[in-house]
Amino acid sequence: MSLLVRGGLLCVAGAVVGIAGNAMSPRPARLGTPVHAAAESAGAACEDPRASVPRISVQEAKPLCIACSAAFVDARSAQEYAAGHITGAVHLPPGQPAGPLLPRLSAAPAVIVYDRDRDCAAADRVAVLLQSNGVRDVRVLTGAWPEWLARGGPGESGTCALCAAGGQ
Amino acid sequence: MMARALAVCRVALGALFIWAAVTKLPDMTAFAQDVANYRVIPAALVPLLAAAVVGIELLAGIALVTGVMERSAAAVLAVLLGAFTVLLTQALLRGIDLRCGCFGGDERASWWTVLRDLVMLATALAVARGRAPERTRVTYPA
Repeated sequence: MSLLVRGGLLCVAGAVVGIAGNAMSPRPARLGTPVHAAAESAGAACEDPRASVPRISVQEAKPLCIACSAAFVDARSAQEYAAGHITGAVHLPPGQPAGPLLPRLSAAPAVIVYDRDRDCAAADRVAVLLQSNGVRDVRVLTGAWPEWLARGGPGESGTCALCAAGGQ
Repeated sequence: MMARALAVCRVALGALFIWAAVTKLPDMTAFAQDVANYRVIPAALVPLLAAAVVGIELLAGIALVTGVMERSAAAVLAVLLGAFTVLLTQALLRGIDLRCGCFGGDERASWWTVLRDLVMLATALAVARGRAPERTRVTYPA
């Protein structure tokens, strides 16, 4: 049997095994449902009507960023933050104390938290932490960083100077 | 010596692909989303393709480790790795910020990922081109 034929058979068998494995997965991909890129499905990336933290779309958040009328909080990793983040955003990943940044965030008219995940889990955790520390009007950015980038939102790179300085 | 090095490469590559498949299986929704984020595959085909890729990775990995149909498995993985390299490169050139979806975790796509795929591609090609073990020919006296 030629290499090509055996390779083809392996692919067909692999596809069958993959579909069976998907069916047994705790979080299977829905085979009949189209999956769009997170950045292409406006707001759908972390839209959850049951979410306890209010949501804000990229279209709504962009003017607030440009007018500096909201504080942005990046809940991704330090490496991701350094590689690129929303202009003026401070870095606060889940599990890190919010204390040093609280005076700055409490003074902002609105605080918008974002991460890069489709379910906004990290952003939600940070937003809840901020709410419990008395920060008012905290919202989570739907579509997260990928959609912000895809829609041409302003961004910059580098480490968080404000975080080291305590946000003052 | 060469045959031994090739055997080590074959088993290592196989183990790596078994690991890649096993880490994706617990969250196939996330892997399908990672595939979609490359913005190349039609949305309707993404879930099916994601499932197929994981299965092919698993079977080809097992074939490489066990040495059954190893050259075919290596050829299939070489095609897959070539496709991964093209997908990653186009995403990076387009400035798309995404997870690579390589090992089921949060690893970001980067030029380092492309380089790693190229090294694995070279290994897969070497295994696919490797000669099958020669059979000893016994000549009986007339």
